[in-house]
Amino acid sequence: MRSRREFSPQTLLVLAALCVQPSEWQHGYALASQTGLKSGTLYPILIRLADRGLVEACWQDEPQPGRPRRHLYRLTAGGLASATAALSAVAREPTGRPAAAAGARQPGGRGVAAPAVR
Amino acid sequence: MSWLGRAGARLLPPGRRDWAEAVWAEAGEAPAGWPRLAWRAGGVRVIAREARMVRWIGSRVVFAAATGVAAWSAWPGSAISHAATARADIIVLVVLLAGLPLLSRWLLGPPGNRTARRLRAGCYAAILAIMPAIAVTRLFLGAVPRGGHDLHTFHVFQGLGVPGTATAGPPLKVVALLVIAACGLAVILALTARRAPVAPATLAIGAGAGPVLGAVMYAVDPLGVNKYVTAPWLRGTMTDTIPAGRAQYLVALAWIVLFGAPLAAGLLAAWRCHVPDDPGQAAAARAWQGVAAGLVSNSVGALFVTVLGTGTTALLVRSAWARDVLYHGQHLTASAVYGRELFASQNAPRYGLICLAFPVIGALMGLAGAGVASGLTSPRPDGGRPPGPPGPEPLPDQPGGRRLADAGAGQDGLPGRYDGEGGQGPPGLVGAGLGRLR
Repeated sequence: MRSRREFSPQTLLVLAALCVQPSEWQHGYALASQTGLKSGTLYPILIRLADRGLVEACWQDEPQPGRPRRHLYRLTAGGLASATAALSAVAREPTGRPAAAAGARQPGGRGVAAPAVR
Repeated sequence: MSWLGRAGARLLPPGRRDWAEAVWAEAGEAPAGWPRLAWRAGGVRVIAREARMVRWIGSRVVFAAATGVAAWSAWPGSAISHAATARADIIVLVVLLAGLPLLSRWLLGPPGNRTARRLRAGCYAAILAIMPAIAVTRLFLGAVPRGGHDLHTFHVFQGLGVPGTATAGPPLKVVALLVIAACGLAVILALTARRAPVAPATLAIGAGAGPVLGAVMYAVDPLGVNKYVTAPWLRGTMTDTIPAGRAQYLVALAWIVLFGAPLAAGLLAAWRCHVPDDPGQAAAARAWQGVAAGLVSNSVGALFVTVLGTGTTALLVRSAWARDVLYHGQHLTASAVYGRELFASQNAPRYGLICLAFPVIGALMGLAGAGVASGLTSPRPDGGRPPGPPGPEPLPDQPGGRRLADAGAGQDGLPGRYDGEGGQGPPGLVGAGLGRLR
């Protein structure tokens, strides 16, 4: 119950996108494509999540030639636990549709399955 | 365009610069054209948001605009005889409004929380609203009627042979009003500063009690403390005599609220504040919260009744509609109407006394309320826990000194959510937001 009150819908979208492959680093543009959020909305969310220790960020070690280094993000252990709890709370909502609510948008526009919620 | 991103990132605190550069680094991934431009626009938004530029610039633009409008509407023309004095006090007041927050920030820090910011904004709005209202009454008092009943009444009340000059007001009165305004403003700024030991709940309690006091006072004395002009809708009512009918209950209520509101606010603020274990320090902390709550309560009440009172007086002299509302059903001659307008206008500066006396009463009654709270919450002889609400857990601090807020607070117009405070969205909001994914 607490998690549902803790995160905004946009934040839940970002958490859901990061939960898809929680061990993999993801970059901002991919997250924006998955969630449909604009950069001006996505990055403040990432900043707040990083401030709370739910997301860790780092710069790419080996940038692609001719391109600037990219900033990468992934959930911390605590972030994964919080995200899982929050998304499972949303999935249990009587008015929501669990599979769609906990999923995130792929670049192609189709929802992906939510991570396993214990 | 990358130089623009790097330059923008320099506006941010060091811990935030990586994020601005991260947005810019990703811009090359977006398709060329509008999508890339939109991505960069988002980066500018991130910079503006994280640099607090929007709030900083917005608050100053709103302040400048509101002050400009208030000063312009209060600026005296040549029609009144004391234009130079009026201009001088407007300039001084604007300088006080602009300068005192800077001084307060330097000495005590910026406003400590959202309640403090709102309280400051409300006080500023009140002072800016009073400026043109006072100017209208001054203009009315300084202008000599052209003839007829009004001129006759003017001469009766103002004194023969001194048209227009009797209302110019000695500089001492103007200086006194400015000193009262400066002191009141300084008190509010100090109480709402970050380093002031005033809890947000104390400010909220005081700010909540103030309008009640102001509204009741306005109902009794909508045109100021003057027996000739008080409570026109309560016929026969005079504050300095025993009123008739229901008015006596209203007057009694006003006295009760004047002393009772700060007492209750002080009691509540002292009762629910967190105090140290040491009994002496706990009593001092409660006393301080009680005084602050009472002070805020009656200061807000005084400002409230002053805004409404001076505004009503200004409307009275400017609008026949307002006169009809105020004196509805009463048959008044033109001379009587002019006399009441004159009395009401002359009475406007007395609100300065209200702004001086009310906060003093509030501080004393708040202290009394804190004393009552200390008595109620003093430790029991048997060592049991004193009555009182359990205090919430303290919120963790962010590196920048701010409380942790929801990570997505404020996104797309959604309100921020602070732990332990209200502002929760409806239960279906999450589902509705996520429903876009389907």
